[in-house]
Amino acid sequence: MIRWFVRGVTQRRLTTRYPRAEEPPPAGFRARALLDPSATNPRQASRAVQACLPEALTHDHQHRLQLDAARCIGCGLCVEAVTDGALAIDPGYELASRGRRRLVVGDVQEADIAAELLGGPFRRSLHIRHVDAGSDGAVEQEIAALLNPYYDMQRLGLFLTASPRHADVLLVTGPVTEPMEGPLRRTYEAMPEPRVVVAAGTDACSGSIWTEPEVRGGVDRVLPVDVYIPGDPPTPIALLHGLLLASGRARDASAPSWHADAARSRAGAA
Amino acid sequence: MIRFEDRAVEAGALAGELGQLGGRLMMLFATIPAGAQPELCALVRAGDAVVRLRAPVQGATYPAAHWFEREIHDLFGITPEGHPRLEPLVHHPPEQREVELPAEDDVRLAHRGAERLAGPGVFVIPYGPVRSGVFESAQFLVQTGGEDVAYCAQRLFFKRRGAERRICEVPLELAVLVAERVSGTSSVAHALAFSHAAESLGETEVPARAQAIRRILAELERLYNHLEVTVRECEDASLAVGQAQFAALKERLHRLCGALVGNRYLRGAVVPGGTRIDLDAAVLDLLTAVMTEWERDWERTLAVLLRTDSFLDRLVSAGPLSEEDARDFGCVGPVARASGIDLDTRRDLAYDGYPAFDVARHGDGDAMARMEVRFQEVAASLGLIRKAVASLTPGATRAELRPFTRQSALGAAESARGETLYWLEADGERALRFCKLRAASFMNFGVFNRVFDSQVLTDFSFIEHSLGLSPAGCDA
Repeated sequence: MIRWFVRGVTQRRLTTRYPRAEEPPPAGFRARALLDPSATNPRQASRAVQACLPEALTHDHQHRLQLDAARCIGCGLCVEAVTDGALAIDPGYELASRGRRRLVVGDVQEADIAAELLGGPFRRSLHIRHVDAGSDGAVEQEIAALLNPYYDMQRLGLFLTASPRHADVLLVTGPVTEPMEGPLRRTYEAMPEPRVVVAAGTDACSGSIWTEPEVRGGVDRVLPVDVYIPGDPPTPIALLHGLLLASGRARDASAPSWHADAARSRAGAA
Repeated sequence: MIRFEDRAVEAGALAGELGQLGGRLMMLFATIPAGAQPELCALVRAGDAVVRLRAPVQGATYPAAHWFEREIHDLFGITPEGHPRLEPLVHHPPEQREVELPAEDDVRLAHRGAERLAGPGVFVIPYGPVRSGVFESAQFLVQTGGEDVAYCAQRLFFKRRGAERRICEVPLELAVLVAERVSGTSSVAHALAFSHAAESLGETEVPARAQAIRRILAELERLYNHLEVTVRECEDASLAVGQAQFAALKERLHRLCGALVGNRYLRGAVVPGGTRIDLDAAVLDLLTAVMTEWERDWERTLAVLLRTDSFLDRLVSAGPLSEEDARDFGCVGPVARASGIDLDTRRDLAYDGYPAFDVARHGDGDAMARMEVRFQEVAASLGLIRKAVASLTPGATRAELRPFTRQSALGAAESARGETLYWLEADGERALRFCKLRAASFMNFGVFNRVFDSQVLTDFSFIEHSLGLSPAGCDA
């Protein structure tokens, strides 16, 4: 055991200072696509829509593009498909939102959403119960990574709990497959109120690339979702942001904004 | 290119043919040729070729075929003859809480060493699908008298998302994105196996530079998966410092992957025809620098782990799997290699220009042997990454995927869990009409109840994690 002690104490501090200090991902990281809402070339718009597997990009009859960040898997194929620079890749950072529609760019409601510190039933410590409703398995590893020395979620008062009876937060991954709908509902019902449901990962937020009949198409088809954390899979920082948002300790990411975020990607690349 | 032999078999003769070939059953599935009756197709590894047996209907009583037959029964309604336990596999009632003990003459009991537990006081623990901790959904019905495990039934397919259907219905150039998300921690292996099949349908040649990049990514993926198993085993042994140290090593790999390809699980890199990304000089310098330091820290931490008796005591002799069982059930990957079977897709169905390397092997077949195989593979992967970086020559990283000329093709890749297979059937030149995928975990889950034979309940998580299974891959 003394050898482990020596191994442990001879290493430098690894833990991030997030959320006190910023910790953006590396340049070139592909968290999601960004859309320039002023782009109107119909041929380019069609190309981008065809390259989008999860149907995050759609266009109306006037070929105005709309981007749903809760469906985007960050593959970047739409960026390669267009030549007029209407789309870019966002390395992402704090991506979670309390409203599904806030993640849609080009939606009419975008203007009246202000990033605000939202209240909620919780203020500090949270106990979290995770349920896998059909994920690809990577989100589970990213949640487990929150316990590693780099993120150490317990320093923020965030704890994983085995029993739903002790849980404040239901952290759901996966698009909700048919056999998991019942167990998911029962876990929710076993939780005491107040309770918060967090959908972690693009497939949990919207179903993403998966379709009926095997999957329900997102956690909010089954349970009321309070916080959406898109990402394929969401990074540990994005998960921390979403959990802090659930306890009213972080700001809503709201819809990805072309001007602010594109400027940030350029700064990151330089 | 995989060497193929194609043989048509008479109805009911499949089992006999399988026995005669003496090979390893890779896959068994039903397919419906255009305008014809459904037929069974078995892919068998025999000698240095893959033999494809086609039979009009059913009938193979062969341990490795049991799960495939139950799947076919659920999906196509074809009833195999002489199946010992034709319960629903894919479409099961999700609320089951009882387990029926296998009958005395059940083939699954033939190898049992322990006395059967029976009588009052024996009860069933329905464990899952929502389990304590952060785990993927699967259910284990453990029959026990308190400590000794009498029987353990595994129930999967809570996570079936319909990946095979999606792969066929989406545009061909987007299908690889679905394959990457079947088992999110084996994204590269699934993308490679799918791409190999798509490439062989049209005989597309992959450029040398793309092959080297693919090898780098595939070996990085193997490293973080083997680290994940090590972290889980340390957690089970309550070895908190070891868990933190190995988790930190794993995190460093994910950060490197994020910087290399823009995704911590290496998605969006491998495509049919090559790779979508190139690794430039700056990125390769980063890779070399990070991996040099990583290797040193890994070796030091592993050396401490291998001298920690409290850890070794829990793994040695836990969850033994005999070579005979591993063969009968068609096990693959580190699980098979730890039971003395010499197989590795990277060598046996050579792809992407892998150089010769030593295939890790161990004879003990217990949880410790499976860990030692993984530790050897980490060392081999580090060497393979160095060689791949050195072999990078300037050139293209992607060739255009050529129109399909063949009707069907098999693609294979060795994930960290073992052989991953994609069988694709073409519909014209640029579309797919049928896809059957088989992740390594589908085969290795088959021995789950075997390795619990005469084990104790407190070793459950050690044994489970030593198998390194992915329910997402198995369920697809």
